[in-house]
Amino acid sequence: MKQNKSIHRSQRERQRFTTGLLFILPSALLVAVFVLIPCFNVVYLSFTDWNGVATSPKTFVGLKNYVKLASDVSDFGTMMIATLVFALGLTVLTIIISFAVALVLDKKGKGRLPRGFLRSSWFFPTLLSGTVVGVLWRIMYNYNNGMINKVIEQCGGEKINWLETVGLTNFAIIAAATWARLGICVVIFMAGLQGISADLYEAAAIDGATERQQRKFITIPLMAPSITINLLTTSIAAYKSYELPYLISQGRPGTTTLLLSQRITFYAFQTMEYGRSSALAVVLIAIITIISLLQLAVMRKKEDIT
Amino acid sequence: MKKRDGVRKFVEELILAICTLLILVPIYYFVIGAFKPRKMILQKPLILNAEMFTMGNFPRAIKAIRYWPALKNTATITLVAIALLIVVSSLAGFAIARIKSRFFETYYSLLITCMVVPFVACVIPLVVLIKNLGLHGNVLGPILIQAGWNIPFATFLFTGFMKGIPGELEDAAYIDGCSTFGVYWRIFLPLLAPVIASCCIVSGTGIWNDYLVCNTTLSATKNPTLMVGIYQFFSEKVNEYGYAFAGALLTSAPMVVLFLCLQKYFIKGITAGSVKG
Repeated sequence: MKQNKSIHRSQRERQRFTTGLLFILPSALLVAVFVLIPCFNVVYLSFTDWNGVATSPKTFVGLKNYVKLASDVSDFGTMMIATLVFALGLTVLTIIISFAVALVLDKKGKGRLPRGFLRSSWFFPTLLSGTVVGVLWRIMYNYNNGMINKVIEQCGGEKINWLETVGLTNFAIIAAATWARLGICVVIFMAGLQGISADLYEAAAIDGATERQQRKFITIPLMAPSITINLLTTSIAAYKSYELPYLISQGRPGTTTLLLSQRITFYAFQTMEYGRSSALAVVLIAIITIISLLQLAVMRKKEDIT
Repeated sequence: MKKRDGVRKFVEELILAICTLLILVPIYYFVIGAFKPRKMILQKPLILNAEMFTMGNFPRAIKAIRYWPALKNTATITLVAIALLIVVSSLAGFAIARIKSRFFETYYSLLITCMVVPFVACVIPLVVLIKNLGLHGNVLGPILIQAGWNIPFATFLFTGFMKGIPGELEDAAYIDGCSTFGVYWRIFLPLLAPVIASCCIVSGTGIWNDYLVCNTTLSATKNPTLMVGIYQFFSEKVNEYGYAFAGALLTSAPMVVLFLCLQKYFIKGITAGSVKG
């Protein structure tokens, strides 16, 4: 009898497993065809000298594409610096500003501005597409006609050449991208802050902890998961950024603001060097993977300690 | 002590107000710019009064970006991709969350790993694939691509939510002779409304706002889409500020309206991903 029951159960479990397989099948198919296979294909193409014409052969050339990338040192260096500066600047600025804003927005009570309205205001820019943000900021940065220089002029300052100055243009695209990213991070930080029990602060206050001490020993450690997720998603978004920075700077001055993601499509659709483009794509995937792993490892360790 | 706290509170609110204003200025500039002739955008960037008010930018922008056909295409892509995404991901989420098996756990980890891959890196094989499938210049291309690339995040949302539902309901249904699909269909699906809303909104905004997929798999002349339209118009006529603003306003308006109606779900969808890193 007992044995009979267990057979019955395993049969039922097997049946459920089969149904489960059917359940994951459609999503697995879509992911395989449109994400995984293209992803492996890119790695394969990066070892060939294919020119994109369907009938022309894909000759295996080993590491030639990678060597070509790396040997073009000044070009590759400029691109990597532009990309790293952009990613680092965007991430750091976004995290600091959104954390500060979330801390203040989290405080409610008498004499404070309406929270719902403020939160929506910060969130608003994130609704706009990269294209719209790019167009808008390009116009704002315009040397003669842009709003920013107009305001500076009216205040008696001197016009700034935002989009043709080495260094400053990097900052210009970072500022625009930060503006478009802040809202998401603010919302995530606020959710994190609301998850911290008020009892902790009360207990700390009774023990005589100052507000600064409370922040250091309660808020920041308990916010570590939110900080991790914001760091991760923002830096990944930075490496993926494509049309937003391009519409603002077109990579100028020179190619000092041309990012890795934009070079991939440049090699693919302008110069038809599919192998080189694919090699660059593999570099991008590698960078994003390494950063995700590093950040996860570092933050996990921190979370464990506290 | 009390008084100093009051001063501090005031300063905090003041800084917050100024920063919020700074965040809103670009939006204000762009929205009022859509209703001003170019000359006024240049001369008085931050003022709008009755004298300079004009609706003249809109017809021109609608024509330049081919707004109506573009709106139709973008809306089709977004709606169909989202519908497909929700069906497929909720099924997968159910299997992962509710059927115990190593296999499903591995599948879940694989999906999570996929979240890291940037679309732009896979652009060449995808364009080739779409051409080989005979889908170049067909909205089905971006629909399938968008559904595929959004599955990892959507499945993550659905799995997380379904793991949190207590098992009694399910057990009772199984005892009453309900099939596995019946449990999904009758017990879980009705409970999923909030996640479906969040998923619609988060993935929907992404698909609506996408430029790269549409630009690489559709032909801009045959199948205009909103973001490609704006991008190309602006690349050709960099100085037509009024038209660019009007066009940008028209393409963003549907998302803004959606946000104002469903704010709660926007916030929920975004934070859902952050609760469990």
